[in-house]
Amino acid sequence: MDDFYEVKVRKVEQLTADIKRYTFISERTELPSFGAGSHITLHLPMGNRQYSLINNPLDMENEYVIAVKKIGQQEGGSSYLHEKINEGDVVKVSPPHNYFPLRLEAKHHVFFAAGIGITPFLSMMAYLKSLGESFELHYAPSSEDDCPFYNEMNEMYPNQIIYYFMARDSKKKKLKETLKNLKVGAHIYTCGPQSFMDFIVDYCRELGYPKKYIHEERFKPAKVIENPQPFEVTIENKKKKVLVQEDQSLLDALHKAEIPLAFACRRGICGTCEVKVCNGEVLHNDAFLTDDEKRDKMLACVSRGIDHISIAVD
Amino acid sequence: MSVKVEQFPFPFTEDRYAYSNNSSLLKPARSITITDHYLKEIQLKRELLQANHKRCFRSLPISLESQWEAMRRIFAELAQSESEHFSLEKRGNEYRFQNHLLGEEERFTYRDSSSIELQPLDIAGRHVQEDLIIMGDRHDGLFLEAGQLCFPSNWSLTFVLGMEFKSIHTPVPGIDQNDFISKVERFISRIRLNEAWERKNWSMTISNMLDTPLETYANWGKLRLKVTDKNVGEMVHLRVEVQRLLRLPMTNDILFSIHTYLLSLNDLIQNDLWLKRLYTTIQFLSDDIAEYKGIALYKNELIQFLEKTLNEKGLSL
Repeated sequence: MDDFYEVKVRKVEQLTADIKRYTFISERTELPSFGAGSHITLHLPMGNRQYSLINNPLDMENEYVIAVKKIGQQEGGSSYLHEKINEGDVVKVSPPHNYFPLRLEAKHHVFFAAGIGITPFLSMMAYLKSLGESFELHYAPSSEDDCPFYNEMNEMYPNQIIYYFMARDSKKKKLKETLKNLKVGAHIYTCGPQSFMDFIVDYCRELGYPKKYIHEERFKPAKVIENPQPFEVTIENKKKKVLVQEDQSLLDALHKAEIPLAFACRRGICGTCEVKVCNGEVLHNDAFLTDDEKRDKMLACVSRGIDHISIAVD
Repeated sequence: MSVKVEQFPFPFTEDRYAYSNNSSLLKPARSITITDHYLKEIQLKRELLQANHKRCFRSLPISLESQWEAMRRIFAELAQSESEHFSLEKRGNEYRFQNHLLGEEERFTYRDSSSIELQPLDIAGRHVQEDLIIMGDRHDGLFLEAGQLCFPSNWSLTFVLGMEFKSIHTPVPGIDQNDFISKVERFISRIRLNEAWERKNWSMTISNMLDTPLETYANWGKLRLKVTDKNVGEMVHLRVEVQRLLRLPMTNDILFSIHTYLLSLNDLIQNDLWLKRLYTTIQFLSDDIAEYKGIALYKNELIQFLEKTLNEKGLSL
C-alpha cells in the first residue's frame, strides 16, 4: 500500500464559475518532489480521485497545487471539494506519480488541451520555461468565459499559446492544419475529454506521426479489486488444485500448497511471478503485462481468477 | 579491499544459480551506504579520478538536469541518514553541503553551472563509495547518459556511454532467453517517483582490487592464471555489487548506484552457511556463466578448495 500524507488546505481560489484552485501544504513533513505532468491522489469519502499538479516542480516549496472543475453529480469528488473543502481543512493525499512525463529529448514540445485538461500542461510549461526549452500550447477551452488561467498564461507565455475559441468544425479544421505542420523531432502531448484526445491521436496516426512521439494523459482509476472473492485453481502441469481465499493472493496459496513460484515485488510491477493461464477468466490487477500478454498470462501476486481457472507454472 | 565480514552482503539465498529479477523495494528509498572502508575507498576513488578522469567520468549534455537532481538528492540523503557525518543547508537556491568525515564542503547554486567546477555527478560521486550512473528514460528506451565509474567489474564506461539498456547487456550469456532483459527493462520503466529498488549481483575477483575496468584488463585479467590450490583462499574474492535503482522525480530518469564489496574466500568460509551456498552455486554454474564471470580458468581449484574445507569442517550439504 502507498503511504499517504495529511496535508492542510492553505488556499482556495475561485478561478472561473466552476473551477477552483487548491494549495495544499504540510507543516509536519517534507512532501516528496515531483516532475512536470505528475498527479496526486486525494483520499475522499467517495473514493480516491486523481488530480494533476499544476505548480512548477522547480519552484516547489513543500506545497502541492491542483485545479478542480466541478463536474456532474452531487456525490462526485469535484462537488465534494468545491462544497465541503475550505481553507484550513486537512486532506489525505498519496505521493505523486507520473504517467505523463515530459520527454526531455524532444526538440520541441507541442501541447493540445481541451477544457480542464489544461492542468498537466501548467506544470510542464512552467518547467520547460525554467529550462529554456521550446514549446507551444494549443488550447480549446469550453468557452471564453470558462478559460482558467487565461491572464496568467498570457503573461507568462505571450508567444506560445494559440486559443481555439470557435465552432467545432472550424476548430477541428484548424487543429488538423496545426498537426500537419509539425516538424520532425517534436513530441505531442494531449489531455482533455476522451473525444478530443481521440481526435488528436487518430489524426496523428493518419499522418503517420511516430507513435512513440504522441503522449496521452490517461487517468485510469487506481486499480483495486473491490470485494475479492475466493476462486479455485487447477495447476495443470502439477496435477493439483488449490483454493484461493478472499484474503489471500494466488501467490500465497501456491506457496502454501508447496508449489514453488519465484516472486519479487509482490505488487504487480516486476513480472517475476508470471504464470500461464490455460483456462478461465482473470481479473488483471498488475502494471506489467501488455494487453497481448494478458490473454494467456497473469501475475500471481495481485491478479485473481473468477470462480475457477486453470494455470501452468514452470 | 576486503570488507569486514559483518558488513558483507552475501548474495545467495538459494543453492542454485538462476537469472532472476531478485529486486526488493527499499523503504525508506536509499541510494547510498557508508561502510567502515569509507575513507580508504574515497581516497582510492579520488586517485583514480585524478589519474584517469576520462575513464572514470563521462556524460552526455542531456544528462545535466538529472545530474543536478541526483547530486542534491544524494547530499540530502546523506545529511538525513548519516546526520553525524554530513549536513546540507539550503537558502533559496544556494546550497552548502558539509562532509565532516573528510572535512570538506561543497557550495553551489542549484542548476547554475557557473557555481561548480566539475559536473554535478562527478562532485556527488567523490563523497560516496558507490559508482553512480544516470539512465535516461527516453521514449525509445533507457539510455546510459552519464556515469562516474571507478570500480567496474570488467566493463568500460567509454564503451557504453549513450548505449541502450539491452545493448549494454548483450555480453551476458543467455540474457535474451524468455525475453528476460526486456522484462527487466519494463520493470525499471515502471519504477515510480522517489522509489528505490535493490538487487545484488556477484562475480569473482582475483586479489582485493576494486578497480577492474576493461581498460586495464591486461594488468589484472592474467591474475586468473595464477590461482593454485595453495593460494586460492587468499587470492579469490567474492565480489558483490549492491545495485540500487531510484526514480528521480523531477527529470523522471533513473539513478543507478553500485556499491561494490569484496570478501576473500578465507574470510567467507568462516561462515558455514555461506560456504555451503557458495559451493553449491559454483558447482551448478553453467559453463558460459562461469566463463562470463571469469571463473572458468580456476573453477577446478575453487571447487576442490571448497570441498576440502567442507570436509575439514565435517559439513554435509
